[in-house]
Amino acid sequence: MSCENPSVDKDALMARRPKFDKTKQCVKCKERTGNIVIRHAVYCKSCFFPLISTRFRKSLEPSVNPTPDGPRRKALKASGSLLVGLSGGLGSTVMLDLVTKTYFGAPSVTHIGEEASPLKLKGGKEHPRNMTGKDSEIWRGVPAVCYVEVCGAFPGAEDRTERVRQVVESYATTSLSSKFDFIPLRLEDAFDLEWWKRVGGGSLASSAQSLGMDMTNESKSLYSFVLPKLLIQKFTGLLFSSLPLSTPTLALQTYLSSLPTQTAIHSATQTLVRLLLLYTAASRRASHVLLGTSLTSLSVNLISGIAQGAGFSVAEEAMEEWRRDGKSGELTPSIRIVRPLRDVGIKECAIWAWWCGLRVVGRVRYLGGTQGIDSLTRDFITGLERDYPATVSTIARTCAKLTPKEGCDGVCLLCERPAQHGIQEWKSRTSTRSYNDAPSSSSGHGRPPHIANATDHPQHQPEPSPSSHLAPHLCYACHTTLTSRSSRGNVKHTSNSKVAPLPLWVGASRSLASTPEDSLGEVWATHRMGDGEMKAAIGDLLLNDS
Amino acid sequence: MSTETNTISLKIEFGGGLELLFSNQRSHRVTIPSTVPVDNNTSLTKGAAASATRPADVTYLLHHLRDHLLKERQELFMENGTVRPGILVLINDTDWELEGEGEYLLKDGDEIVLISTLHGG
Repeated sequence: MSCENPSVDKDALMARRPKFDKTKQCVKCKERTGNIVIRHAVYCKSCFFPLISTRFRKSLEPSVNPTPDGPRRKALKASGSLLVGLSGGLGSTVMLDLVTKTYFGAPSVTHIGEEASPLKLKGGKEHPRNMTGKDSEIWRGVPAVCYVEVCGAFPGAEDRTERVRQVVESYATTSLSSKFDFIPLRLEDAFDLEWWKRVGGGSLASSAQSLGMDMTNESKSLYSFVLPKLLIQKFTGLLFSSLPLSTPTLALQTYLSSLPTQTAIHSATQTLVRLLLLYTAASRRASHVLLGTSLTSLSVNLISGIAQGAGFSVAEEAMEEWRRDGKSGELTPSIRIVRPLRDVGIKECAIWAWWCGLRVVGRVRYLGGTQGIDSLTRDFITGLERDYPATVSTIARTCAKLTPKEGCDGVCLLCERPAQHGIQEWKSRTSTRSYNDAPSSSSGHGRPPHIANATDHPQHQPEPSPSSHLAPHLCYACHTTLTSRSSRGNVKHTSNSKVAPLPLWVGASRSLASTPEDSLGEVWATHRMGDGEMKAAIGDLLLNDS
Repeated sequence: MSTETNTISLKIEFGGGLELLFSNQRSHRVTIPSTVPVDNNTSLTKGAAASATRPADVTYLLHHLRDHLLKERQELFMENGTVRPGILVLINDTDWELEGEGEYLLKDGDEIVLISTLHGG
């Protein structure tokens, strides 16, 4: 049997399979002709809306009660208020629509087009449709929608705050009961003391207010490679007064411009947005933060997160609980971050938005450029979803089964997610070399032309106190974000400053204040070993050359 | 409705931010020939006969939109002769996957909707 050539023999090509199973009839009602194909299954327009609404509720409602006792809607009672994160993108716009229609009495899809006055109650006052945001009986207090504007990070970007505000306020006009508090934030708030005070952040020592990291202090060795150390320098008044970093915006821009890659800029921005939402939610005593991550976006986040070293927190990508550091160490109520669209693909979101006539403001997705890991992953997953739609949900389902092998070693200072145990030890055993580490005089080989003239790092840098190292307090992913360089796609450093500021919550962390040397009276230090020292240490194990 | 029998009049709508590539105008009316060149060449002047033709389908329409309506960045609209992954097409309010995708033969008065999902989620 020979291999046919499809360009010559057209019969050699396999017939293209249709994207749907069997017939065009709706698989649900089995009566009407279908309107949409969702992972090979055909649904008509009438069955589409309850399908999405049910998937949304199935993802959200089991996590509403502090202790799960089944998905019964009447028994739903959250321990705090609700905060909805709205990015202006497709997923979060659809999620806000579903939240208002399901829990806060906005006209549901079946009511759109009906001429009933919104003031005239249809059904009893206990009916969910007639409940106000204030007494929805599921969440306490007035629900809030929080939007984080990122244009401050990138001069020239459009400020979409007012357009997002209009979207939120449009729900108050369609139904008097679906009134949300709109909380506009800005990315630079992460460096703004005023915001920190507003959300009830702990008092920061004057030194902690100006925490920064020295990106140039990289200790390297030929054999035992201690990964670049991030040195927290306490330089009161240096960042925020002497240097021209007098505003949070400049601090934000300096922080982002100090990051080594486009991928890191995107990842750091996501982390800032997430923590801004969480601290704002904590200040409102919220028990739930809802994010509009669709199944497609979740799969992208999972794959790109793993590619960036965030494999340990795979479970947190789908569902996580976050607890704020109490001011005096007391336990504060935890906040659940739920992604109720995690079973709904971006295609369904787009169709929902179109059929419901939702206005999607749009969002700036790739702040660091289109060549970052996240951007490339999204391109890949989007193509995969078109050609093999079922595989995208497989990614999420497979990742949901993963559990980390190692235990948790506290919380990362930067992203406040669990950090893997023994990261520092593992890193200290990793042998990584770069051309810069190899002096040409000792190896006898010339350096590649592009770094031939590069100056060596100073040999004798003053070793900082171990307690001032930031690295031990970071998870692997954040450490990678801050330090991992790429052979291509490096961002241009616009700032001349060697020191970059850090978000305020890093300085407020208690774990940074209490270091091992403080609590146990012991000092742990990692230092670079010279050739002779290393040979002496392992001399007994070496074999003779003869 | 078209006045000539050899043309097809269509209503085109863009959503999800795709309209930004088309003069920021969400709704368009286009008229295309009912028979089109097999190579999807949209530059033939009216009356000029192509060597080989076929009935107008969605694939031809996409080429027509790209060549005559698209204002910028065609790589964000088409890829490998079809719409870029992440752009959904509805034909008369029905997913084009149910209608044969690009091979759907257009009829006069059809309503085609193109929605971008690349605006975030």
